[in-house]
Amino acid sequence: MTMPLILVLVMVVLFAAGVYLLLDRSLTRVLLGFLLVGNATNLLIFLTSGTFGAAPIYGVDPADMSDPLPQAFILTSIVITFGISAFILGLIYRNWHLARQDEDEVRDDAHDQELAEAESLTTEEVTDEELSQTKEFASSSDPEPASQQSDESTRDEHGASSNGAAS
Amino acid sequence: MTSLIPLVVLIPLLSAALALALPGRRRAQQLITVFALTSVVALSGSFMWFVDQHGTQVMQVGGWAAPFGISLVVDRLSALMLTVSAVVLLGVLLFSLGQGLADGDEETPVSIYYPTYLVLGAGVCNAFIAGDLFNLYVGFEILLVASYVLITLGGTGARIRAGVTYVVVSLVSSVLFLAAIGLVYAATGTVSIAQLTLRIAELPGNMQLLLNLALLIAFGIKAAIFPLAFWLPDSYPTAPAPVTAVFAGLLTKVGVYAIIRSQTQIFPDSNVDPLLMVIAVLTLVVGILGAVSQLDIKRMLSFTLISHIGYLIFGISLASVAGFAATIYYIAHHIVVQTTLFLAVGLVERHGGTTSLISLGGMLRAAPVVAVLFFIPMLNLGGIPPFSGFIGKLGLFTSAVELGSAGAYWLVGVGALVSLLTLYALARAWSLAFWRPRESLLEAEGTPAIAPSREAAILHGRETAMLQQLHDAPDAEPVQEQKETPKLMVAATTGMVAVSLLLTIFAGPLYAYSVRAGEYLADSGRFVERVLDEPSPLGGGSGVTQIPGFDPQGESEEGTS
Amino acid sequence: MGLLTTVLFALSIFALIIYPVIRRFGRNAFYFAALGPGTAFVALLVAGLTAPELNERLTWVPELGLNLTLRMDQLSWLFSLLVSGAGALVLFYCRNYFSAKDEGLARFGSVFLAFCVSMLGLVLADDVYLLFIFWEATSVFSFLLIAHSFGGRTSRASALQALIVTTFGGLVMLVGLVMLSVQTGSSELSDILASPPTGPATTTAVFLTLVGALSKSAIFPFHFWLPGAMAAPTPVSAYLHAAAMVKAGIYLIARLDTAFASVPGYRETLVLLGALTMISGGLRALRQFDIKLIIAHGTVSQLGMLAMVLGVAEPEAQFVGIALLFAHALAKAPLFLIVGIIDHRAGTRDLRKLSRVGRQTPFVALLAILASLSMVGLPPMIGFISKEAALAELFTLGATDPMSVIAFAVMIVGSALTVAYMLRFLWGTFATKRGVAPTAELHRESPLIHLAPTAFVLCALAGGVFAPVTDALLQPVAASGAEHLALWHGFGVALWASVLIVIGGALIGVIAIRWSLIPPAWPDRLSASHIYWLLTHWVDVLAVRLTALTQRGSLPFYLVVILAVAVVSLGGTLLVSGSMPSEYDLISSPVQLPIALVIIVAAVFATRARTRFQAVVLVGVTGYGMAAIFALHGAPDLALTQALVETVTLIAFVLVIRRLPQHIGVRTTAGRRWIRALLGTGIGVVLGAFALAALAARSSAPISDYLPELAHLGGHGDNVVNVMLVDIRGWDTLGELSVILAAATGVASLVFVSTRVSNLPRLSRKQAHLRVQEHMRRIEDPNDPVQRRTWMLAGRNLDPSRRSILLEVVVRLLFHALILLSFYLLLTGHNSPGGGFAGGLVAGLALVARYLTGGREELGATVPVDAGRILGAGLALASTVAILPLFFGQAALASVWFDLNLGPLGTIPIVSSTFFDIGVYLVVFGLVLDVLRSLGAEVDKQEENESRRGVPSIDASGQVTP
Repeated sequence: MTMPLILVLVMVVLFAAGVYLLLDRSLTRVLLGFLLVGNATNLLIFLTSGTFGAAPIYGVDPADMSDPLPQAFILTSIVITFGISAFILGLIYRNWHLARQDEDEVRDDAHDQELAEAESLTTEEVTDEELSQTKEFASSSDPEPASQQSDESTRDEHGASSNGAAS
Repeated sequence: MTSLIPLVVLIPLLSAALALALPGRRRAQQLITVFALTSVVALSGSFMWFVDQHGTQVMQVGGWAAPFGISLVVDRLSALMLTVSAVVLLGVLLFSLGQGLADGDEETPVSIYYPTYLVLGAGVCNAFIAGDLFNLYVGFEILLVASYVLITLGGTGARIRAGVTYVVVSLVSSVLFLAAIGLVYAATGTVSIAQLTLRIAELPGNMQLLLNLALLIAFGIKAAIFPLAFWLPDSYPTAPAPVTAVFAGLLTKVGVYAIIRSQTQIFPDSNVDPLLMVIAVLTLVVGILGAVSQLDIKRMLSFTLISHIGYLIFGISLASVAGFAATIYYIAHHIVVQTTLFLAVGLVERHGGTTSLISLGGMLRAAPVVAVLFFIPMLNLGGIPPFSGFIGKLGLFTSAVELGSAGAYWLVGVGALVSLLTLYALARAWSLAFWRPRESLLEAEGTPAIAPSREAAILHGRETAMLQQLHDAPDAEPVQEQKETPKLMVAATTGMVAVSLLLTIFAGPLYAYSVRAGEYLADSGRFVERVLDEPSPLGGGSGVTQIPGFDPQGESEEGTS
Repeated sequence: MGLLTTVLFALSIFALIIYPVIRRFGRNAFYFAALGPGTAFVALLVAGLTAPELNERLTWVPELGLNLTLRMDQLSWLFSLLVSGAGALVLFYCRNYFSAKDEGLARFGSVFLAFCVSMLGLVLADDVYLLFIFWEATSVFSFLLIAHSFGGRTSRASALQALIVTTFGGLVMLVGLVMLSVQTGSSELSDILASPPTGPATTTAVFLTLVGALSKSAIFPFHFWLPGAMAAPTPVSAYLHAAAMVKAGIYLIARLDTAFASVPGYRETLVLLGALTMISGGLRALRQFDIKLIIAHGTVSQLGMLAMVLGVAEPEAQFVGIALLFAHALAKAPLFLIVGIIDHRAGTRDLRKLSRVGRQTPFVALLAILASLSMVGLPPMIGFISKEAALAELFTLGATDPMSVIAFAVMIVGSALTVAYMLRFLWGTFATKRGVAPTAELHRESPLIHLAPTAFVLCALAGGVFAPVTDALLQPVAASGAEHLALWHGFGVALWASVLIVIGGALIGVIAIRWSLIPPAWPDRLSASHIYWLLTHWVDVLAVRLTALTQRGSLPFYLVVILAVAVVSLGGTLLVSGSMPSEYDLISSPVQLPIALVIIVAAVFATRARTRFQAVVLVGVTGYGMAAIFALHGAPDLALTQALVETVTLIAFVLVIRRLPQHIGVRTTAGRRWIRALLGTGIGVVLGAFALAALAARSSAPISDYLPELAHLGGHGDNVVNVMLVDIRGWDTLGELSVILAAATGVASLVFVSTRVSNLPRLSRKQAHLRVQEHMRRIEDPNDPVQRRTWMLAGRNLDPSRRSILLEVVVRLLFHALILLSFYLLLTGHNSPGGGFAGGLVAGLALVARYLTGGREELGATVPVDAGRILGAGLALASTVAILPLFFGQAALASVWFDLNLGPLGTIPIVSSTFFDIGVYLVVFGLVLDVLRSLGAEVDKQEENESRRGVPSIDASGQVTP
C-alpha cells in the first residue's frame, strides 16, 4: 500500500503555499494560509488510507472500500476548520475596525520593542556610607535624598568621604 | 463510578448549552456555571479516591470496545489533573464573578463569558481523560477555541493583537498535531493510545523517533517549552486577570500532560530523554531571564510560567518512577500557585490601578491583605520552604541525584539557580510594589532633575511605553483612581492561597499518591491491559471477537470490572 | 506530640495572635509578646535539666524523607536557650525602643516572633530538610525585618541583598544535603553524622553544604550582607545579626565537624576563610564612624574567628569554639541594644558628633564597658575564660597541626584589632571630645529600656565569675579532654598571649583615636558588595539582551522559529534514518492529474494574488479541488461537506472583505519572502516524505477493516462514515459541536462587542404579511418601485436600487426546497451520504440566499430566534442523547434502535443516534446563522451608522469616502 505521488505533490504544494501565506503580516493572508494548510493536512490524512475504492457503505467488500476512519477524522477537522476560520474572520473585521488604517496588519508587541533598547532595572549596591545614613524612627521614614542617587555617584561620594576622614 | 466518567465533560457542555440558551439572564447563567463546576470538582475528587482504591477506570464510550470506539481512561494522573483543574476553574470563576459583579458587563459580554468558560473547562477535562489520540486532539481544539474567545474578550486593540498572536500560533500547533496523528495512523493503523503502545513498539526505531518528535513539537508549543514558547508572554498578560490566571494555570499544563502521556504510554522506551534534559535546561534558564528583565508583574509572571515548565520537563526527562512522581506533584503545585499569583496580581491591579513596577508603590500600606495574598504564593513559586514549591523541587532534586548521571546533576544545578533567580525577580518586584513608599515614587517620576541617574532615565523611558500599553488594557485604571475591590475577589484569591497551603500540609498523602501514579506510568503494560481488557500483545483483537453495539451494557461492564 | 513540637507549634500560633493584640494595645503589648519566648525558655530549661536528650518525630512526606524530626542534645539545648532567652529580652526592649507613633508594630511583632520560632526549629531540627526549611525561613523573616522601616531605598536594597545572598547559600546547601542524604540513605542529621559516607561525591556534598553555612554566617566572601543588614531596627540587629541567625552557620559547622573533618580541604577552607574574615572585619570595624557599623563589622570579624576555631575541627577546638560563640552572643547583643539607646536619645550614631554621652548616661556607659570587657576577653567576663581556653587549646594543638598554628597566630592579631575597635567604640560613644558640642538629648528613656542589656551583661559576667558552671554546661557538647574553663590557669601561654593582645590592641586603638589614623579604605572596585552589585547588574543586562533577542514581539518571527524547529528536527531525522519506501506509484487514476494541476496552480497563484478577492477565490478553488479528490476516491460524505463548507466560507469571506481595502499591502522584503518560501517548501517536503515513509512502515492491518461490520450490526447504519460520526466516534463529534459553539459565540463577541443578544429589527411574519397585503391593495403606478408587490418579507424596507424582482422570486422558491433537502440529508444520512453536517450546511445556505437578497431585515424576519438559542439547543440535544443512556445503566452515547411500524407505509428504523445528528444539524445551522448575523447584518448596521455619523469608511474599491 502506498500513496499516489501526484497527490503527495499536491499536498506538498498546499503546505508550501499555506505556510508562505501564514508567515505574512496581513491577517487575511494568514487566514488563507491556514485554510490551505488545513486542506493539506486533510489530504495527508486522506492519503493515509492507503488504498482507495468504493464509498464506505455497508455491503461492499471492505477489501475494495476506502478506509472510513480517516474520512471520519477529516470530516471532523473540516468542520472545526470552518468554525475557526469564521472566528478569524471576526478577528479580521474587528482588527480592521479598530485600527482604522487601511491594513489588517499583525502588529508587534510594544513591550518587547521597547525592551529591545531599554536596559533593565538593576538592584542598588549598599555602601557603609548609605547605611550610616539610614534612620530608624518613623519620624524620618521618608526617603533621604541619597536614595535618589545613582550607584556610581554614591560610591564616589563614599570614596571621597573616607579619604577625607583618612587625611 | 466508571459510567460517570463522561460526566466531567458532559455536565459543563450541557450547562454551557443552557447558559447560551438564556442570553442576558446573568444570574441564571452564574448559577448554572457555579453548579456545573462544583459538581465537576465533586466528581473528579471522588474519581481520585476511587481510582486510588480500585485502579484505573476505563469507559468505552457508546459501549464500543477499544480500539474501535473511544475509550475514556481515568488513572491516578488523570484523576489528579482533573481535580486540581476543576478546583482552579471554580476558584477563578468565583474571582471573575466578583469582578463581573463589580464592573458590570461593559467589559466582558457576560452571556459569552460563562458558556465559553464552561466549554473551556469541558475541553480541559476531555483532554485529561482521552484514551484516544484523535480524541485528545478534539479535546485540545475545544479548549483552544474557547481560549481564543476568552483571550479576545472585549475586543480592545491590545487584546486583538495578543489574540492574533495566540490564535495563529495555536493553529499551527493544532495543524502539526493533526498531521502527526495522520502519520501515526499511517504507520500503525490505529489511534487508540492503548493499542498504539503495542503497535509503536513493532515499528522500526527511526520511525518511532520521528513520530515521537512530531508529537513532541505539537505538544511542546502548547506546553511552552524552550524554542517554542516565545509567543506566550506576548499573548497571555493582556487578557482580563481571571482569564490570564486560568490560562497560565491550565492550558500549558494540558500540553505537559500530553507530553507525559506520550512519553510514558505511547513511547515507553523512547530515547529522547537527553533531548528533553537539554530542553528543560534551556526552558528554565531562558524563561527566568525573561522574568528578570520585566518591569510589568503580569509579563514577569508569564515568564516564570514558561521557566517553571522547565521543571516539569526536568522530571519527565529523568524517566524514573521518582522523576514522574515529582513531576506529578509539581504540576499540581504549579497549576495552583501560578493561578493564585495571577489572581493576586489582579487584586494588585485593582488597588494600584496598574501592574507596572514603575507606577506601583506603597501597596503594603494601601492593601495589607493583598500584600499577604501576593507574598505567600510568591515565596511558594520561588521554592522557599515549607511551601509546596519546595517539596516539589526537593522531589525533583532527590530523584535526579538518585539517578546520578551527569545530565541529572546539571539539571539539579540549573534548577537551584533558576529557583534563586525566580526569588530574585519576585522579591525585587515585591520590594518595589509593596515597600517603596508612594511619595518617593512620585519624586522619582516627577523630578528627574534630582535623580539624573541612568536608572531613573530608563524608568522614564519604559514608563511611557508601559502606560501606553495600560491605556489599551481596559481592566487597568490610571494610578490615581481605584475601584473598590469586591469581597468575592479577595475571598476567591484567599481560597486559592488556602488550597496551595493544603497542598503543603497534606503533602504526605499527596506525594504518596503521586508516587503510586508514577509507578503506574512507568509500567505502560498495565494501561494497555486495562484498556484493551486483554493482557496479550494482540490486544487489538479484543474488540473484534465480540461485536460490540449489540450489548453496550456488557462492554461498559467490562470497563468497570 | 512531644514537648519540643508543642513549643514550636504554640509559639507559631502565638506569633499569629500577637498581631491583633499589638494592633489593639499598641507597643505595651510587646511585654506580653516577650512572654512567649520567655515561657519557651523556661520550658526548655526545665526539659534540658531533667532529660539529657529529647527525640521527637512526626512523619510528613516520608517518600522524600521530609519529616518533623526534632532532637535536643546538649548543643541544641544551649542554643535553644540562647534563642528563646535573647528573643524574650529583645522583645521586652522593643516596648521602649519603639515610640507609640511608630507604624507597623504589629507586623514587626509577629514577624519577629515567627523568626524566633524558625530559629528554635533550626537548632532543634534533626531532619536535614526540616533544618533547611527553618534555615530559609530565617532568611525570609530577616528579609522582612531588615526592611521594616521601608522608607529608604537603602533598607530595601540591603534586605534584598541579604535575602539573595543567604538564599543562594541555602540552595547550594540544599543540593549538598540532598546528595548527603541520598548517599547515606537517611535524611536524619544524626544518622548522617553517625555513619558519614566518603568519596568524591561526599566531598562535593560537604563543600556545597559549607557554602550555605558560610553565607549564613557572613564569612568571606559572603561577609558583605551583614553590615548591610544593619539597616534593620536595632533590636533586629541585636537579635538576628548578633545573637541568633548569624550563628546558624557556625552551628552547622560545629555539627559537621564531628563527621567530616577528614574530608580533604575541609579544615583548610574553614580556617583560612575564617582568618581572612576575622582580620578584614577587624580592619573595617576600625574604619567606621557609625558606632553601629563598628559593632556590625566587629561581628563579622568575630564570626570569622568562630569559623576559624571550629574549622580546626579537633574536639577540643570544637569545645572552645562553642564557648567563644556563647561568649560573643552574650556580649554583642547588649552592645547593639546600647547603640540603639544612644541613637534614640542622641539622634545620631556618628562618633564625630557624639560627646559627653558618658556623663549623661553613666549606667549605659557602665553596661557598655562591661560588655566590651567580655568582647575583648578581659576578666572577669565569660569572654575572658573562653578566649583563654581557646588560646591554650590552639597552642597545644599547634604542636602537631599547622592549621592550629595559623589559627593561633591569627587569633592573636584579630583579637588585638578587637581590642582596638572596641576601645575606639567606647571612646567614640561616651567620651567627651574637645571641639565637639555636647550631644543634645532628644528623648528621655524610661529606665526599663536598660533591663534587657543589663540582663545580657549580667549573664556574661556570671558566665565568667561562675566559670565551673559554664564549664559543666559546655563540656558535654564535644567529647574532648579539653582544659576546663576557669578564671585562672596560672602563667600559661594563654595568659601571656592575652596580655600581648590587650597591650597591642590598646596601642592600635589609642593611635586610631588620638591621631585618627585609621587603615586606608579598601578600594571600592574590589569590595565584595560591589562585586555582588556587578553580578546582579550583569544578570540583569544579560536578561534584557537575551529577552530582547528571543522576544521580538513579531508573530512571523515566532512562527518561523516553530516551523524551523519542525523542519530541522523531522527533516534531519528523516535524512539520517533514510527510511524511505522502495517502490512508489506515480498516479493511481488518470483523473488525478487535472485536479492536481488545478489545485497546484490555484495554490501557487493564491500566494501571488494582489487583491483580497482573487486570493480568496483561488483558495476556494483548492477547496473545491479537494472536494473533487474526495468524490473520486470513495468519500462522498467528505466531498459533499467540503463543497458546502467551502461555499459558506467563501461567502463569509466576501462578507468581511467587502469592508476591507481591495488590495493587500505588501510590507515584506524580498529576503523575507525567500525565507518564507524556503520554510514552506521545507515543511511540505518533510511532511510529504514523512507520510510516504510512515505509510510504508505500517506493519499491521488498520482497525478500520472491521468497521463496516460494526457499523451495520452495532450502529444499525450502512453509511460507515456517518455511523462513525454519530455513534462509534460520536464523542469526537460532541467535542466538535462544542468547538463550533465556542467559535460562533466568539464571532459574535468580536462583532457585537458590547452584548451577545442580537439586536436585529424584529419584523414578525405577521407584520410583514400585513404590509405586503397593504401594498398589494394600493397598486397605482406599476413603475413605482416602492409600491411594487414584494416577494420578500422585508422587501418594503429594501433600498429599491438593490432589489431584483427575479432574484427575490427565485430565492423565495429555492428557500423551501433547500430546507427540505437539508431535512432529507439529515434523515437519510445514516445509510447513504449526508448527515447532520451536510444538512445543517444546506439549511445555512438557504439562509444565506435569503440574506443576500433581502438584507438584514430579511434575516431577522426569516429566523426570529437568537442564534445563541439554536446553538444552545443543538448542543443540549446532543449532550442529552449522550447522557441519557447513563440512566439505563448503559455507557454514555450508547445507541438504541427500534423499527417504527407505520402499518401500510411499512416500517422505518429509528436510531437514537439520529437525534444526536439532529443536534449536529442545529449547531451547524446555528453557526451559519451566527456568521450571517455578525459578519453580515451587524457589519451592515455598523457601516450604516458610521456613514450616518460621517466617519470616513473605506469602500470596496479602497477609496476613502467621507
